[in-house]
Amino acid sequence: MAGVPAVRISIESACEKQVQEVGLDGSETYLQPLSMSQNLARLAQRIDFSQGSGSEEDEPGSAGRAWAEPSEAEDEEGLVKFQPSLWPWDSVRNNLRSALTEMCVLYDVLSIVKDKKFMTLDPVVQDPPPPKQDPQFLQLISKKKSLAGAAQILLKGAERLSKSVAENQENKRQRDFNSELLRLRQHWKLRKVGDKILGDLSYRSAGSLFLHHGTFEVIKNTDIDLDKKIPEDYCPLDVQIPSDLEGSAYIKVSIQKQAPDIGDLGTVNLFKRPMPKSKPGTPHWQTKLETAQNVLLCKEIFAQLSREAVQIKSQIPHIVVKNQIISQPFPGLQLSISLCHSSNDKKSQKSASEKQNPEGHLYVLEHNLHQLIRECHKQTLSSVVMPHPASAPFGHKRMRLAGPQAFDKNEISSLQTNEGLLEKIIKQAKHIFLRRRTARTIDSLASRIEDPQIQAHWSNINDVYESSVKVLITSQGYEQICKSIQLQLNIGVEQIRVVHRDGRVITLSHQEQELQDFLLSQMSQHQVHAVQQLAKVMGWHVLSFSNHVGLGPVESIGNASAITVASPNGDYAISVRNGPESGSKVMVQFPRSQCKDLPKGDVLQDNKWNHLRGPFKEVQWNKMEGRNFVYKMELLMAALTPC
Amino acid sequence: MGVTCVTQVPVLEGKSVQQTVELLSKKLELLGAEKHGAFGVDCETYHTAAAISSQGQTGKLMYVMHNSEYPLSCFALFENGPCLIADANFDTLMVKLKGFFQNAKANKIESRGTRYQYCDFLVKVGTVTMGPSARGISVEVEYCPCVIANDCWNLLMEFMQSFMGSHTPGIPSVFGTKHDSIYSPADTMVQYMELFNKIRKQQQVPVAGIR
Repeated sequence: MAGVPAVRISIESACEKQVQEVGLDGSETYLQPLSMSQNLARLAQRIDFSQGSGSEEDEPGSAGRAWAEPSEAEDEEGLVKFQPSLWPWDSVRNNLRSALTEMCVLYDVLSIVKDKKFMTLDPVVQDPPPPKQDPQFLQLISKKKSLAGAAQILLKGAERLSKSVAENQENKRQRDFNSELLRLRQHWKLRKVGDKILGDLSYRSAGSLFLHHGTFEVIKNTDIDLDKKIPEDYCPLDVQIPSDLEGSAYIKVSIQKQAPDIGDLGTVNLFKRPMPKSKPGTPHWQTKLETAQNVLLCKEIFAQLSREAVQIKSQIPHIVVKNQIISQPFPGLQLSISLCHSSNDKKSQKSASEKQNPEGHLYVLEHNLHQLIRECHKQTLSSVVMPHPASAPFGHKRMRLAGPQAFDKNEISSLQTNEGLLEKIIKQAKHIFLRRRTARTIDSLASRIEDPQIQAHWSNINDVYESSVKVLITSQGYEQICKSIQLQLNIGVEQIRVVHRDGRVITLSHQEQELQDFLLSQMSQHQVHAVQQLAKVMGWHVLSFSNHVGLGPVESIGNASAITVASPNGDYAISVRNGPESGSKVMVQFPRSQCKDLPKGDVLQDNKWNHLRGPFKEVQWNKMEGRNFVYKMELLMAALTPC
Repeated sequence: MGVTCVTQVPVLEGKSVQQTVELLSKKLELLGAEKHGAFGVDCETYHTAAAISSQGQTGKLMYVMHNSEYPLSCFALFENGPCLIADANFDTLMVKLKGFFQNAKANKIESRGTRYQYCDFLVKVGTVTMGPSARGISVEVEYCPCVIANDCWNLLMEFMQSFMGSHTPGIPSVFGTKHDSIYSPADTMVQYMELFNKIRKQQQVPVAGIR
């Protein structure tokens, strides 16, 4: 061997990959090695689970057979694979096998022990128990001690816990108070005086000159009993309102027909309207403050009104009694403005329920009063508030020119119209009353008189001092041809201006009767106008027409009007006289030839005189057929017109 | 606003200013005029300061006047020069202009008195005071319904004769330049300024004479 020259041996690693095929040129194509999971799957496929399982617990004999079989299989496989350790169920099988062995041994031992011939089971000898008395006592003491220590620790912990919980709550409440305070500050003026927080309710910053200080105090409401359940509406912030602003107030404006006894003044309207059922508990500070501010404003309005009522000189002096101002806008009419302030105490509530007056409020005026006072505020504010032009006071444009254009005293005073609150409100009240009365007059006339008809069209949008209504007088069924009377009534403060369709303007006073008479006379004229229009349509000729007849009985209202129309061929003539009071009178003139009972005069012998018209005969109008005057007239005309 | 004539009434011989005013008032009241409040016209003099006058201009005097008849206005006049009508705030502006206009406080002159209404005429009889002393009497007559000076001058004169007698003045110089144009409040103030200047000069002469 030594003599043999060294042979070079090339060692190369065994190909781990299986060769799939060898090409003609010697190149080998390899199979990709199996991945772990693929390998496992392949191995698992080879196991016959139905064979081995279940038989192991049955009996040792079958078990022996069971484990012999896989070994055979293993032998076969081992021949093929040479990698038995890679079989994943190997350890499972080994363990099962050893367990089976032990079970078999245990089974054998137990069966032997059962016979008690060759084997017995003896209990193991235990150690003697420890000495009794003293150690037990010591144990008890030590246990007790340790328990006490543990209890103490627990107690301390609990105490600290409860303290921290209480502190937490307190903190929370404090935080609530602060957040509430913040919210309060967003809406109300606050300032700190000493250790108090004071707020301002008054309208001074909005321009009010009312002297009431209107201060409220903010109170921290945190000392609530922790044990009791906290009420739902609990609020850590509360406000203290001056006692004279407590409760609720409003201004009541009403118009009454006759003056009540002077004895009743001032007390009648003292208590009104039972307090709205307030919820139990304290209301929220916001509502509280708002009501108080409202009370303050009402007081300011009333103070202003009563000051003016005393200062202003009017023909009938205004009366100021207690909480009521009484003025007489029109004779027999009374405007009362009262301040109703109901405080929360039970006394007033009781009397409120007793005295419930159904008299109507004039809500419009109450609202306007509030608006007017705000306007006043705004005026005072605009003259004070910065920024200003440096050269002149801020205000009306003409006022600004007053300096450079050297206005004299008269001109300046004419620029400053300082009409008081009371004057304005009385004017508004007058207007409202006049408007109502006009509406009532027109309505009552319309319902009382069916022929002709009255229609009133009220405008929806009014000025506070002026409103208008359009009045149409028509006949039913003839609306298209009888459009002669259209009146525009402009209702002012003291008087009503009537604008006629043809442009005539008539001024009526506030007296109800004047308007009524005027409308009645217009209605009577309407009938005659209607006849005129009808004549045109029917082809009759108008012979004469007069709105104001100077003849005949004198009417107490206005004048009678009259018309005479002749038939198309001139044979007949109809004469109508209509007065507002006397009503209508219709006469028909027949041709002379038709009158038999006419005495033959000596003078009119000739036949030609027969063409003259004859005498008039009155028509019994109320026996005529027809639903209204114009319809009757149409029938009459039709009857007299030859076919 | 109407046409106004401002004039001076000399103090009667042997009477004080106060007595003369009372006499005039009595005459007016006998005529049927009614008292209608008080009035006041004041005039302050401003010197143009060195800064302006150094540029070759002679030191002009500016008069700042107020009239209670025009309560919101302030009048600033130069002699023979323009008349400015401004807001009442003009006074504060003058304080700011201290560097250019200096107030001659001692020269402040004013006329205060009673206002009489007689139909369409407005008569103001005032005592002209300069400092503490009364220097003379001013009479202002206004005919309210008219604004053209020449149209009503004769009427004015006739009315003035009725209570001033021989002291009725001639036509004011302002009227001459106006002709038929509209009379303005500034013209009244010019008349007052002329009157005040006249009174100042009158007084200065005798004072100088005594010294």
